[in-house]
Parts: sequence; structure tokens; C-alpha cells
Amino acid sequence: MSTNSKSFNWEPVIGLEIHVQLSTKSKIFSNAPTEFGIEQNLQASIIDLGLPGVLPVLNKKAIEMAVRFGCSINANISNHAIFARKNYFYPDLPKGYQISQLDDPIVGEGSVEIEIENEKKLIGITRAHLEEDAGKSIHDKYDNSSAIDLNRAGTPLLEIVSEPDLRSAKEAVCYLKKIHSIVTFLDISDGDMSQGSMRCDANVSIRKKGETKLGNRTEIKNINSFKFVEKAINFEISRQINLLESDNFIEQETRLYDSQKDETRSMRSKEHANDYRYFPEPDLIPLEISNDFIQDIKNSLPELPDQKIERFCSEYKLNSYEAEILNSSKEMSNFYEKIAQSIKNTKLIAKWMVGDFSAILNKYGSSVEESKISCDDLTDLLQKLDEDKISDPAAKKIIEILWNENITVEEIIERENLKQISNEDDIGELIEKVIKENPKQLEQYRNGKEKLFGFFVGQVMKTTQGSADPKVVNKILKDKLKQ
Amino acid sequence: MSNPTSQSLIEQINLLEKKEISSLELTQLYLTNIEKNKDLNCFISLNDKALEEAKKIDKLKERKSLLQGIPLAHKDIFCAEGYKTTCGSKMLENFISPYSSTVFDKLKKSNSIMVGKTNMDEFAMGSSNETSYFGNVKNPINKKRSPGGSSGGSAAAVRANLCAFATGTDTGGSIRQPASFCGITGIKPTYGRVSRWGMVAFASSLDQAGIFAKSAIDASIALEIISGFDEKDSTSINENVPKLINETTSEMDHIIGIPFKLIEKINDYKVKQNFLDCIDLLKKNGIKTKEIDLPFIEYSLPAYYVIAPAECSANLSRYDGIKYGYRCENPKDLEDLYTRTRSEGFGEEVKKRILIGTYCLSAGYFDAYYLKAQKIRARITNSFKEAFKNVTVIAMPTCSNEAFELGSIQDPVKMYEQDIYTIPANLAGLPAISVPSGLINKMPLGLQFIGNHLDEGKILNISHEFQKITDYHVY
Amino acid sequence: MKISEDTLKIISQLSKLEIEDVMKDKILKELESILLMVDKMNEVDTSKIKPMSHPLNQAQNLREDIISENIERDKYIKNAPHSDNGYYLSPKVIEQK
Repeated sequence: MSTNSKSFNWEPVIGLEIHVQLSTKSKIFSNAPTEFGIEQNLQASIIDLGLPGVLPVLNKKAIEMAVRFGCSINANISNHAIFARKNYFYPDLPKGYQISQLDDPIVGEGSVEIEIENEKKLIGITRAHLEEDAGKSIHDKYDNSSAIDLNRAGTPLLEIVSEPDLRSAKEAVCYLKKIHSIVTFLDISDGDMSQGSMRCDANVSIRKKGETKLGNRTEIKNINSFKFVEKAINFEISRQINLLESDNFIEQETRLYDSQKDETRSMRSKEHANDYRYFPEPDLIPLEISNDFIQDIKNSLPELPDQKIERFCSEYKLNSYEAEILNSSKEMSNFYEKIAQSIKNTKLIAKWMVGDFSAILNKYGSSVEESKISCDDLTDLLQKLDEDKISDPAAKKIIEILWNENITVEEIIERENLKQISNEDDIGELIEKVIKENPKQLEQYRNGKEKLFGFFVGQVMKTTQGSADPKVVNKILKDKLKQ
Repeated sequence: MSNPTSQSLIEQINLLEKKEISSLELTQLYLTNIEKNKDLNCFISLNDKALEEAKKIDKLKERKSLLQGIPLAHKDIFCAEGYKTTCGSKMLENFISPYSSTVFDKLKKSNSIMVGKTNMDEFAMGSSNETSYFGNVKNPINKKRSPGGSSGGSAAAVRANLCAFATGTDTGGSIRQPASFCGITGIKPTYGRVSRWGMVAFASSLDQAGIFAKSAIDASIALEIISGFDEKDSTSINENVPKLINETTSEMDHIIGIPFKLIEKINDYKVKQNFLDCIDLLKKNGIKTKEIDLPFIEYSLPAYYVIAPAECSANLSRYDGIKYGYRCENPKDLEDLYTRTRSEGFGEEVKKRILIGTYCLSAGYFDAYYLKAQKIRARITNSFKEAFKNVTVIAMPTCSNEAFELGSIQDPVKMYEQDIYTIPANLAGLPAISVPSGLINKMPLGLQFIGNHLDEGKILNISHEFQKITDYHVY
Repeated sequence: MKISEDTLKIISQLSKLEIEDVMKDKILKELESILLMVDKMNEVDTSKIKPMSHPLNQAQNLREDIISENIERDKYIKNAPHSDNGYYLSPKVIEQK
């Protein structure tokens, strides 16, 4: 297509607004619980419902968590943060305004580093501010009504706004993953996108390469998975390119990503431009955050993903690819380090965790947290591998069984007869038997057809159902074939 | 013995302590007065459990609070669990509060008896009580006149002996102006002194609860009970509350600051003369005065009519017909629900203020209105700070006129001008009190004392000094 | 400051209030007279003044992260004009799916 050649000249400019639900026990302005999946309106307190006369009182923990995030991205923390009311009407916004921040957000400018195709890139973070989440409107429950559930109303959110520094959907996903790992390592959010603990709006525009001015942008709202972020942005980029290349205009608007149709579409283009009429929240006076408080938090910050990756490379002698995968989540990282306490062969652990263990998590769409294979089971398994008590193929088999059955590694080995035979005498006997049974092949081999070595290995493995130690088999077979 | 309902709170406490009267008898007497004065329209709802509660209180062996057994009335802006809280609006006509305000709770815990909830301007927006959805209150002194607003029902109820004292709220003068119109004492404490929890919001940075009573001493007793830090209100002041009755009656040296430049501008010579006579009287009794300058104070009114509507425009957004309150019939869609619910549920004055507030906050006008008003607020607050370097309290009239005839003020700006002397204390968050200062045209007038931050004791003290040498508060 | 009919339309839409045609002139006139009074603010020089949004000069009181609310949904929802099975109901919102 002719557009393709032109397309190379376009540069996407992307910025993300990431909403992270903070994992406080109680809500940001009320002492109602924040649990997920509770029956409708059972955790909506009178404050969350916005009854006449109720007042917000700010949760100290939410501030602490926001400051923790700020410190971890080297941002300025405001000593004098201000809350503001953002005014708009919506059924799941009980007060008709959201308590948020405009001027003086709690976290100012900072940055994070991402690595994409072996290149490091610094992504600027404009600000991160605290606000309250809205409730939920359910549209498919009643024929003529929308049902309002305000359980989520008042859950603390940290909105992290990036600079328009991202240049592709891949970079955007990489940045989002980075933020995900930071907030989970900091223990300020469970980061669970499927439950809405992390949601993302993407601002997308395109411009000709070399151009410094930004084009008209669209905002894609509420994308709730890494995969959809990539797809939605890619769809939007090509939509915008097509529009501009056919001499159309890009309307500055809010769009919604439909994951089923894999497309974005306009949300409220007919509606009047929103005028949120922000003003300082008079129910909350400015928040004083002392330098001592900030310093205390800095001193107590846990090891962050970047630092951990570096340490994994030097301490466990891993390559950066392995170190990065092992630090893609806090649980994965903890899993690894726990096993490394009992097994010296850290490269072996990394190989299996990055390889087969990650593969089975992917296969069943599970997180490390929900893994059906416990850390102890995996330790057992890798220990047996390390001590040559089982073979690689046997280990692969065991992983699959461990996932699906409630059974120990030892029991699987027993049941499936997977014990590796590494006794040289035993293997020698087996080999002799195999050689005897295949005189034709032996003759051909001795006449120079060395490729047949593999055939003999195969035969030995076949008779032992794969449980012979291949290293020992190789060694003895070579000797016996020469005789 | 004269009817105990016409006696002061402190005398009633005395009677209860000596068991010369029971709470049941006192409550019954008040209920009789309420029944006889129905035409004043002071109450939106009555507490049908009042007698029952009084009986229970009478059975208690010990008196745990000065207010034990005392019948009082609450402005219908204070949420009280299980009772209607209408805020004078059709919007909340049937709203039964599932929780109680701190003010209600504290008075309940003091074992006092609520006889009912008083009428008020809708959402406390008004200076005449005429914006109430439940009809205006009449001034007990002259039923053709307004009792003032917005806490008109409470002021009139105290004046007409329908309760021993009453609560009110004051955003721009809503306690002091009705106190002045009804010839009683009304105090608005320092912003943050009394918790706003459960008090339906009008303008959050200005609203403050306070007390109507027959005298400064009476007010000090009730105010002390409702004051204090409340963890449910993050704008509440975390300071101990002094024994206010002791402060009220102790010996204090006062220097009263008088903003003569402001006084000179008073149009009504009777009002001006009344004020100057009061100052002379205080001087004759050995109290020092000093001229002060309060620059920018005349800009209080314009600043207030930006800030209060701006805050109210957001505070009243929660009335959307979904969670509680009025809902229009058969809305055809969400927009229709919002628009008709709010247009039908709110009265004209409330709508006007929401519109003004929305305008002042909207894109393009925010700096010129809202921000400008906040800057003027800062200047006014500073001018008070300067003044209080040299004086203990500041005196000025409460209002530039006596109670006007109901229906006589139609121009909104004229109505707003009712509050020109009371608004400055709200903008600066300072405590202020109005005490009766005599009559003009057979109607009472008020003298206002404004105190420095947390100086409720000082303004109560000077008011008490004034009431020792006058009998305007005795009726 | 004069308010145009268009501006009135915008602010009444923002605040979800409907102004009947017969009332429009009266409301416009009243709003204008209020804003005329408010415009007096421009006489004050505020060039170096920091805006004051609150009369309290203290740090914000905070609360500990403790769950202590006793939530009585059925009691709260009794005030709702339209509810079912613990849900508050609004007219169907169709603009978003």
C-alpha cells in the first residue's frame, strides 16, 4: 500500500495517566473498608455516600504511600499539598465532585528509566496526585435503570501522569510495567489490573518526524490490561495516520477502547467540553508534609526493581535478561531469592524460573501469587535436578503434574518412575544389552557411520523411559561402542 | 413564681438543681408555649418523644451536666439520627437522617431535651427567613416583621420562650442578625471551635455553629458544651475549651477597638446613635476604647458573594435525586433527572447562588472572581490581625437596620447588604457575638463584639459587662 | 459584568438547573446586579497578596488507617427515592457501554 511508505514518517507521541488504587485498609476519606468484591453498597459509609453534613478526614497511610512512590522516582514532594474539588455530575460520583488535587500535588516532577530493545530511556513523570475513586454504575442489570454500587467510592487512588515521552505502544507498555513493578515492590498497591487496581488512560497524538510541535491528541480512557494498552494505542496510531493521510482532521476528544472489536471509538463528542471548576477543597486545609517525614520514608524505602536487577546480576551471576524477568514482580523476585537460600546453583534456578516455571504460569494465565506450585515444591524439584537425581525431561513432566495435582515432588518421581539412573554399572549393563540387540547398527557405526551414536542414546533412554542420566550414558556408550 | 420559661437558662438550671421544678414540668411548659405560638412558624418539626425523654432524665439520681433536663431547639440544619433534617428545603423534605451531628450528640449526651427543629432559610441562604420552603417565621416582637435569617426560627423560638436556648449556624451573619432582630444574644465562635460534622453544608470555609440565648452567661454555658475538637472534622481546632462561664464572669481588662471610619458611614442616624450611646455607656463604666482602622472591610460583601456561592455550588451538587432527597417524577433520562430534580427541589434563592458560584468558578472567570475574592479575604484577615495587636475586642453594629417588614426587600443585593457588618468575622474565621443594644422604632437592635482567634471568652466577657449595666436583654 | 444569555445557558447546564423562559430576564437582571456589586473587588490592589482559601491557620488533621465504620446499608438506602436489592437506581445511562 502506498500509505505504508508514508507511514514511516510519522512519529507517535504518547503520555499515560495511570490510576493506581492504593492498598490502604480503609478508604481515603472515611474509615470504611476498601476490600474488593463485597456485596453492593455494603462498604459504602455515609461519607462515601456523600450524605448531607458529612466531612472527609484524610487517611495518613495514603499520604505515606504517595510519598513512598514520590521518593522512589526521585520526585519533589510538596511540603504543602492542596486538595481540590473537581466538579461534574455522574450517578456513581456521590457528592457531584471528586476530591482530587490540581495545584500543589503531593508528588511533583520525577522520572523512571525503561529499557527497550537493549536501550535505556528516561521517561519523565509530570506529577502524581491523590484522589478518591468513584463508585460503579452497572448498566445491564435492569431494563430501564442503571444500578449504582458505591463500594468503590472513596478508595484511594494515586494518579501518575507521565510526560509525552513515549514513542510507541511498546514503550508505553514497558513504562506501564515499570510503574507496576515499582508500586508492587513498594507494597502500595496490589497492581491487579483485572480487578481495576491499576487502570490507564493513554494520550495519543502523531506528528511528522522532526516536528517539535504536538499534534491534536485523543485520550483513550480506562484501559485495563497490558495487552489492551498496546492494542489500543496501536489502533489509535494507525487511525490517526489514516485520517491525516487522507487530509482529515483529528478531533481532540475522549475515546473508549473496545477490546472485543479491537478499536477505539468516540465517547462523548457531542457533549459540551467539560469545565470541572476546580477549587481548593474547603473541608480540608492544606496538608503539611515535613522534611523529616519525607526523610524517614526515604530511609525506609525497600529495594526497588532497578536496584534489585543490578544486585541479581552481580550476586547471583545472572544475565540482565534473567534478572529482569525475575524482577518483573515482587512475588517472582521473592520466590527466586527464597529458593536461592537453599540451592547454590543460582544459574540453574534462574534458568528454570525464567523458562519452564514462567511458561506454565503463562499457560494457565496465573500470577506467581496464585501459582499452584509452591515455593517449597519448586525448591524440592530444583534440588533434585541440581543433584542429578532427575533429568531435564523428567523435571518438565513433574512441573506439569505439580500444577495439576496435589502431590509432592517425591511422590511424582515414585509414581512416574522418574528417578534418574546415574550409577555407571547399571547404565553399563543397559548399554551392553542395547548393543547386543542391535548388531547391524553396531557394525555400521564401527564402519564410520558415527551419526548412529544418537540412535544408541535414544535406545538407552527408551528402555529407561528417559530416566538415565544422559551425561553418564554418553560417556559409557562412547567407551562401549569403541570396544 | 413567674413562668419558668421566661427565666434565664442559669435560673432554670438553678430550679432543676434544687428540684423546684422537674424536667418534665419544664418541657411541658415549653410545649404549651410552642402550641400557643404556632403562628410564629418557628418549628419545622417537633420532637414527639420530648416528654418521654424528660421523664427519663427526671429519674436520674445525679446531675451530670448543667444542661441536664433543659429543653432546647436545634436549627433544622443539624442532622439528628432518626429525625427529619430538612434544611428548610423541599429537597430534603422527607430526609430522615441515619446519623447525628456532633452538635446534636454533645447536647444529647449532656442530657438536655430537644423539643424540636427550627425553621430556617433554605440551606441557610437568606437573611429574612423568607426563603424557607416551609414558610417564613414571624418576629415574636412584631409579627409583621422578619425574625432575620437564616437561623430565624431559632432566634424567634428563644425570644418567644419556646425553648431555653437554641442552636444556629452562621455563614455570613445567620446567628447574629436574627439575634439582633429578635433582641436576644447570639454567638458565633471561632471557625473550627465547634465541629461541623453533621451540619448540612452551605459554604464550608465560612459555616460555623453557635448559640442563641437570653444572655451572654446563658450562651457561655451552652457554647462550652458544643465546643471542642472532633476527629470527624479535619477543620476542627485541636485546643482545649476553657471554662467559658468563668471567663464570661471574670475580671478582664478590655480595650475596645472601634472602627470609626466605618461607623461614620452608617446611613441610619438612629442606628449610628444607638451604637455611639452604647460605647459611651461602656466608657462611663471605665472600659477603655481605641480607634482602629479596618481597611478593606467594605469589600467583605463582594468577596463573600463570590466565596459563599462558589462553595455552595459544589456543596449542593450532591442533591441529584439518586441517594436521598427529592426526585422528580418520571425522569426520561439521566439529564432530565438531574435538571428537573434540582430545578423543582431547590428554591429561587438557592438556585441563584448556585448559578453565581458556578459562574465564578467557571473557566475564564476563576481568577477574576474566585481568586480575587480569596486575596481580598487575605487582606481583610490581615487587617483584623493588625487591629488585634492593640485591642482586646472590636465593637460595631450587628446590622445597619432593625427588623424589616416581611416581604419589604425584593432586591437581592439590598437583602445581601443585611450582612455587611457580620460577614467580615466569617471571612476571617473570628468569633463574634450580638447582644441587644436597645430599641429603635420599637424594635430591638444589636451590638456586635468581634474577638481574636479563639477569644470567645473575651467577647462573652465584654458582653456580660454590657449586660450588667443594661437591661435590653431582659424582657 | 454583563452575563449573556449564552453564558447563562452554559452555567445552568453545568449546575444542572433549568431556567424557565419567563424567569430568564429576571434571573439575568438579578445575577447582573449581584455581579455589579461583586465587581467592586477590582478597586482593591491584590497584586502581591497570596489567596486565602481557608480561615484556619493550622496543619490538616489526619486519621489513622483503621476500619471502624459500622455500615448500615439498609438504613441508608431507605432515603433513596428509587432503589432495589441494595442498589441505588438512576435512569439508564446509555452514552457509555
